[in-house]
Amino acid sequence: MPGWLDVLLRSIGLFIVVFVLTRALGKKHPAKVTPFRFIIYTVLAVITALTVLNVVNLGFGLIALTVWFLLPFTAEHLATRSKWAHDLIYGRETVVIQHGKVLEENLRQARVNGEELLSELRNKNVFNLADVEFAVLETTGDLNVLLKSEKTPVTPYDLGRQVAPRPEPQTVILDGNILNEQLAALGLNRHWLKEQLEGTGVLLDNVFIGQVDAVGELYLDLFDDALPNPKPQVKEMLYATLEKAQAALTTFSLETEDEAAKNMYSEYAGKLQEQLDILKPHLLH
Amino acid sequence: MTTASKLKQTLAGLKSSQATLKDYAEKARHDEAKAAFQEAHEVVGSIVQGMEERVSRIEFEEPQFKG
Repeated sequence: MPGWLDVLLRSIGLFIVVFVLTRALGKKHPAKVTPFRFIIYTVLAVITALTVLNVVNLGFGLIALTVWFLLPFTAEHLATRSKWAHDLIYGRETVVIQHGKVLEENLRQARVNGEELLSELRNKNVFNLADVEFAVLETTGDLNVLLKSEKTPVTPYDLGRQVAPRPEPQTVILDGNILNEQLAALGLNRHWLKEQLEGTGVLLDNVFIGQVDAVGELYLDLFDDALPNPKPQVKEMLYATLEKAQAALTTFSLETEDEAAKNMYSEYAGKLQEQLDILKPHLLH
Repeated sequence: MTTASKLKQTLAGLKSSQATLKDYAEKARHDEAKAAFQEAHEVVGSIVQGMEERVSRIEFEEPQFKG
């Protein structure tokens, strides 16, 4: 077989093999893996490269690849089954800051000095050591930080504010194509979607991305960036209409001379205000 | 006596809100949201009913406001 054909076939073949292997080995991003895994990836890469370029006999290359795939695969499989195996293979996380105090012993064992610790903290946007409640050095070498409660950003829970639960939006249009699975997940169909599109006067072909939010409102991003995006405002308008009605009812109760009507209007104004307060977190974000 | 036209305007706004609330109640994905919209729909519904009665009484008593 001519040399170039040999290389071509090896390249294509090994490309497919490597693709299958890395899919089988799982989802960890190369930047964020333990040193163990990183070396595995590197060795697999080098073996593949050398085999493709005929530096190594094809058979030997494949044997090496198989071993270097099977051993880590088995090791990881064992690690997920047994905690002991997991600790052996990956090591354990080291707590480096606890109750706001740096645990120097643990730092020393992890071979991290003060300067490196501060640098890692800055990586997580923490400039004041005083702000840290707890920090742990993961097996990947990454530092994860828990800030002291008064330094943690405020959540609606802290403010005692009622916030409506917000389920994830679904993407229903991508590149001008309708995604039926996602539509069905929302309990909607193509007919509804076409109606919505007609309502905004936009053609399906002009839509790059279309998302449906928690309340069932469609947001469109168009291919033509010169065209202004149609802005969905139904929720805000609904809230505004109800607000206006509530104000009107209050006015009516003041203006009318009829006692019964006065009471009726004032009762309605009150009820509507109650509903407005309940609906606010759902309609306005 | 409040102007019937202002009443009718408010009534129209409430009716369209009623329909939108029903729509949201059906589309909502969380039970909490569904319940909130459904209740609002019902409250607005009862207000609409009460106001419609009031408007027809006014029209009966003061026929010049009809229409």
